Amino acid sequence: MSYQMVEQEAMSVTGTLGTLQGSSAGKSRSLDVSIRVGDAKLDNYRQIRGDRPQFAGGIPMPLEDEPNALRRRLWLETDRVFRAAGQRLINIKTNQQVKLEGDDKSGDFSPVPPVVKFETVAPIKFDARLWQEKVRKWSQYFSDKPEVLASNVAVVVQREVKTLVTTEGTKLQHGRSFARILISARGKASDGMNLAASETFEGEDLGRLPDEKAVQKAVEKVYQKLAALLKAPLAEPYTGPAILSGKSAGVFFHEIFGHRIEGHRQKDESEGQTFTKMVGQKILPDFLSVKMDPTLHHLAGIDLYGWYNFDDEGVVARPVSVVKAGVLENFLMSRSPINGFPVSNGHGRKQLGAEVVSRQSNLVVESSKAVSNADLRKQLIEEIKKQNKPYGLYFEEVSSGFTITSRRGLQAFSVVPVMVYKIFPDGRPDQLIRGADVVGTPLTSFSKIVQTSNETTVFNGYCGAESGQVPVSASSPALLVSEIEISLRERSQERPPYLERPIGPTITGGTL
Amino acid sequence: MRRRDFALLLPAAALAQQRPVGDPVLKAMKDEMARSGPLSVVGGQPLYYMECALDDAVAFRATSSLGALFTSSNSALRVPRVAVRIGGKKFDNTNYIFSEVFMGTRFDPDQFPLDNNPAAMRQIFWLAIDRAYKTAIEAIGRKRAALRNITQAEELPDFSDATPTQMVMPVPNWSVDEELWKNQITRLSRLFAAYPEIYTSSIDFESSRDTYYFANSEGTELRYTEMLAYVRARANGQAADGMRLRDHAFFFATETGKLPSEADMEREVRRTADNLKALISAPLGESYSGPVLFEAEASAQLFSDLIGSQSALLRKPVAEPGRPINLPTSEMEGRLNSRILPTSFTVVDDPTQKEYKGRPLMGHFPVDLEGVKPQAVVLVEKGNFKNYLATRIPTRENKVSNGHARLPGSFGGYLASSSNLFIKSDEPVPTAEMKQKLIELIKQRNKPYGMLIRKLDFPSTASFEELRGLVGGLSSRPAPLPLLAYRVYPDGREELVRGLRFRSLNVRALKDIVASGNDEVQFDYLANGAPFAIVGGGNYVFGCSTVAPSILFEDIELERPQVELPKLPIVPPPPLTA
Repeated sequence: MSYQMVEQEAMSVTGTLGTLQGSSAGKSRSLDVSIRVGDAKLDNYRQIRGDRPQFAGGIPMPLEDEPNALRRRLWLETDRVFRAAGQRLINIKTNQQVKLEGDDKSGDFSPVPPVVKFETVAPIKFDARLWQEKVRKWSQYFSDKPEVLASNVAVVVQREVKTLVTTEGTKLQHGRSFARILISARGKASDGMNLAASETFEGEDLGRLPDEKAVQKAVEKVYQKLAALLKAPLAEPYTGPAILSGKSAGVFFHEIFGHRIEGHRQKDESEGQTFTKMVGQKILPDFLSVKMDPTLHHLAGIDLYGWYNFDDEGVVARPVSVVKAGVLENFLMSRSPINGFPVSNGHGRKQLGAEVVSRQSNLVVESSKAVSNADLRKQLIEEIKKQNKPYGLYFEEVSSGFTITSRRGLQAFSVVPVMVYKIFPDGRPDQLIRGADVVGTPLTSFSKIVQTSNETTVFNGYCGAESGQVPVSASSPALLVSEIEISLRERSQERPPYLERPIGPTITGGTL
Repeated sequence: MRRRDFALLLPAAALAQQRPVGDPVLKAMKDEMARSGPLSVVGGQPLYYMECALDDAVAFRATSSLGALFTSSNSALRVPRVAVRIGGKKFDNTNYIFSEVFMGTRFDPDQFPLDNNPAAMRQIFWLAIDRAYKTAIEAIGRKRAALRNITQAEELPDFSDATPTQMVMPVPNWSVDEELWKNQITRLSRLFAAYPEIYTSSIDFESSRDTYYFANSEGTELRYTEMLAYVRARANGQAADGMRLRDHAFFFATETGKLPSEADMEREVRRTADNLKALISAPLGESYSGPVLFEAEASAQLFSDLIGSQSALLRKPVAEPGRPINLPTSEMEGRLNSRILPTSFTVVDDPTQKEYKGRPLMGHFPVDLEGVKPQAVVLVEKGNFKNYLATRIPTRENKVSNGHARLPGSFGGYLASSSNLFIKSDEPVPTAEMKQKLIELIKQRNKPYGMLIRKLDFPSTASFEELRGLVGGLSSRPAPLPLLAYRVYPDGREELVRGLRFRSLNVRALKDIVASGNDEVQFDYLANGAPFAIVGGGNYVFGCSTVAPSILFEDIELERPQVELPKLPIVPPPPLTA
């Protein structure tokens, strides 16, 4: 049995067109109760097809340590979860009588040593007025850009303290804080296609975010990207060599590779189980290794979003070598064991109110066949010539589905290219194209990786899956692939606004 | 030449443009509406009406339970709403099932800037009007197409005339002493610590200021503010057989400073806790058919539900051929000029009244959401239903608005709702005699006891599931559940019972009222368009007050619904420390 109480504190300010659009500050405490009935071999958390366990309620708890209020909540919630647990175990056992056993005969819960540790998290210092002024100033830049139909700049700071107690003796308090700046702009091309551009900064706290000038530059960059996209020619169906930037490659690895090495998928009969029986086999080129490292705080000068000291089952975080020199070594494990992997490796994660499954942390792709970015580009041009193609592609930025406005409603499994360039072998300048969609199986694309750069870049964000939203990162050097296929994306055909945008007096920085 | 064309299409907008406007929000609305005339030409559909509205709400909310603060938050939110009408008043894009369905991409934000920056505001209204116009073009086309294959029972115009109103009122200051209220509700919540049988309890506090900005192309300009403060106490428990029970107490005021004193609230919260404690150990009620006395508060709750929530006719939107829609109709539909109450009764809905016996009425408003000045509407005269509450959407019985648009609707217009409902009888009986009359009736009919209702679950604090279980499966529209129901024995003794609901208590039953008291009380509540005004049932809330006397029915049925009861918690409750 375990009680997890999460204390969340969040402050945010959003600006648009030189005005303050929203400003909020809030603190909450919530409780998730987990009760296991049966035994470690078969308990109420076993997945039966089409029915995932869901016991956690994320119910509100008092902000103060008042025993009456705390105990009453714990008592009623424990009763609710215990009843639901007993009922589900009976359903599972009944279901087993009419179902054939799956391939994986491992149990439902693995042992871990109890942890007793009390960490504190520094309070957030957030000067709302100061940040309100900043978002007004930054967002003002878009106000005289007619092609930008919607835009905003948001600053979000969060602090999360998790307290976990279990009947196994774990007594743990730990947590961390997050700070983020998000800049986004949207517009509509003359043919109706909706286009968007964004830039984000992530850090462990506000002090680690870039200075005002750097943010201002990023705002300008968002505009330049959107303006260029709006004027860019449409992509056309194409197969040929390409370079994926480090960030793009990181997102591809996260979405297409990372989710497939999550342990719980290996015993779920409804999953694709691409790698379930491939441990010890070569699944990537020899020169590539992939690790998942929740203990890593920074990489390539960037704060990583996916670090934690303990996972949501109170298991101490540790780096996991997933692929070494192309060979699959490990899956990401929570306390739900699978064939050949009987214990957790500290990757049981969840959002408040959800049930733990194995999730990614900081994904890092490493290469032993690396050249400079300039040489990688040279190799791409050689490859274009060799394959006799009119051009190659450079995927500078892909949208991961990492959310811009809220933590909800994102589509973590769709990878949509945002900034894609045609690279010509004859030395013509690169040409931005819009509306490209990657087709085929990207796994095949990974097998066509021929070379990497020696510069790693980082993508930070939130990943959504069965256990909700969790902060993650993905880092990789740029990759040269011998073949990738793109097609034209489906697009909106609605008209742009009928009338020109209003030209009114522009008053800088209004006040509340 | 062109300009004149636009002026012809939008004469009122052009007219409105000539008046100087001081408010920057209203100016941005009017500037963009004035600029939107050419839409009729470039879009090819005549635009005859436009409106821009903005709800500007600031609020402070906090919740406590058992002496601990659970939540505390400040919010500032501005929500814009823009609507256009194309075609003409006789036939336009509204009153159609998909009138508000926009298939494209929305660029105007749903959160409006908190700063009054003219350029930013105009940009947003520009995009919102563009979206509304595109929505309207699609809607009118699809509505015309649908009407080729269906015949409407009755052809009514889509919009009525209304006199433009200019009412730009100063925005009052608003502030709330957050620490004071956090402490006060935390103290109130601690009162429940003396009641171990109460499983969950909470005290909510909210203080808010909502300023409504509205401008339309006919020259209406509004800016007015409503302030609201409330404290809400809720408590839940479980009887030995597992039945879930609850009680609540609400305190409303138009300003935070006008809420009752802490001592007064404390008394009410204690009463709530005592009621619930008594309910938990009360015997189960039995099916009953006979005289029932509603004390004045319960009577006001009943009238709020049976008449207040039912006095507007919903205009049925045009539906797609072969896909009829099933929208709840008003209980009053078809009852115009029919008797629904004894001839001694008069019912008036009057938003123009600000106070009743020196106490502010929650349902007062100076002008409705469409900018129409409200009128007092006599709903029931000498027991006969005489009038409906109306908006600018014409219905069979109301060709023009009587200023009761209180809620945004779903098909391009607004919904009418009640405000201050006054129920009067010209044959009042002294209150003290009401209970005596009940006893006489049961003696006459040889009944072992009669029933007294002291409080209804209105606005309901039940969960949606609970409510579905308790009132589901009934053939007619259910009445609110009784929270405090008592058996009254011939010797006058009262006995609280639990687990009952009304059977067929609807507007038809009101004719059977045999007496009413001289004890009119004012009952305040927040409505939201949801059944029983269920707390949390709608995003848009508005204040209402009902003034009613106690009433005695000759014959009402109560029954015990057959529902599964949850088991008691396995472990007894943890002890409470005082």
